[in-house]
Amino acid sequence: MKRFEKITIKAMALLLSVFALESTVLAQGNPTLSDAEVASAAVTANQIDIDFAAIAKEKSKDTQILEFARTMANDHQAVIDQAVALTEKLSVTPKDNAVSKQLKADAEKTKAQLRAKSGKAFDKAYIDNEVAYHTAVISAVKDLLIPETENAELKDLLTSVVPALEAHLEHAKMIQQKMSKK
Amino acid sequence: MMTPMLVAMHRVLFPCALLLLTGFPTLQERPATKTHRLEIVRMKFSPSNLSVQPGDTVVFINLDMVTHDVTEASGKTWKSPPLAAKSSWKKVMKTSASYYCSFHPVMKGTITVK
Ligand SMILES: [Cu+2]
Repeated sequence: MKRFEKITIKAMALLLSVFALESTVLAQGNPTLSDAEVASAAVTANQIDIDFAAIAKEKSKDTQILEFARTMANDHQAVIDQAVALTEKLSVTPKDNAVSKQLKADAEKTKAQLRAKSGKAFDKAYIDNEVAYHTAVISAVKDLLIPETENAELKDLLTSVVPALEAHLEHAKMIQQKMSKK
Repeated sequence: MMTPMLVAMHRVLFPCALLLLTGFPTLQERPATKTHRLEIVRMKFSPSNLSVQPGDTVVFINLDMVTHDVTEASGKTWKSPPLAAKSSWKKVMKTSASYYCSFHPVMKGTITVK
């Protein structure tokens, strides 16, 4: 029970930090993020989940976790490839910004926490974080990045990524539930 | 030199002769089988419930940017190879099946053969 509370608090903290970001960015008036900054935030968010997957590949022995992590690495790389191809086509150079910096800073903390765990505790921490992270990224993409995007093709790309993020979230929740029954 | 009349006769007689030799195959067989298009788009099989006749072909087309597959639900009878973005795979359906994507198990569908 205690563990569950801790996770919920962590998930909430992650969500709050995204919401805080949104309000900071939105408070500055429109448009606050250029398309170059949106592209950078999108690539960063995807790269972070690839990094989490790499830690899982290194630390987990659970087939289910390893397969999930492999799908995360492949899918998020496919999104990055599409985003990079589009920025090249549009001659936009992704630009580091408050959102991508915040995402990276949060991810570094999470990676340290994941690396400190092993065995079943790692598997649980990894999948709990995948649930929290996808929840946060879905809301950031829908409520922040998409509304901030000017270019129609970039907006379409971000919109088409949402169903994949939602499927990942449902998949992670499925594994989370199975593990809690073991 | 063939007169136009002869040419016309050849055009009629040759197919007739062919039909006689092969015994009117099209009249003896069941109606031709159909090909059904099944899109994989926005992380869903569409249509997710499809009805086909025995022997019909179903073509799965991946329109997403991520790789999917089509795996029969028991995991024992059939499975497509990984379908990268924009690739497709076809299967002749003889029996009904439930299926899912092994990369994204939340993606599911059924094909009813009747
Ligand atoms: Cu899939």
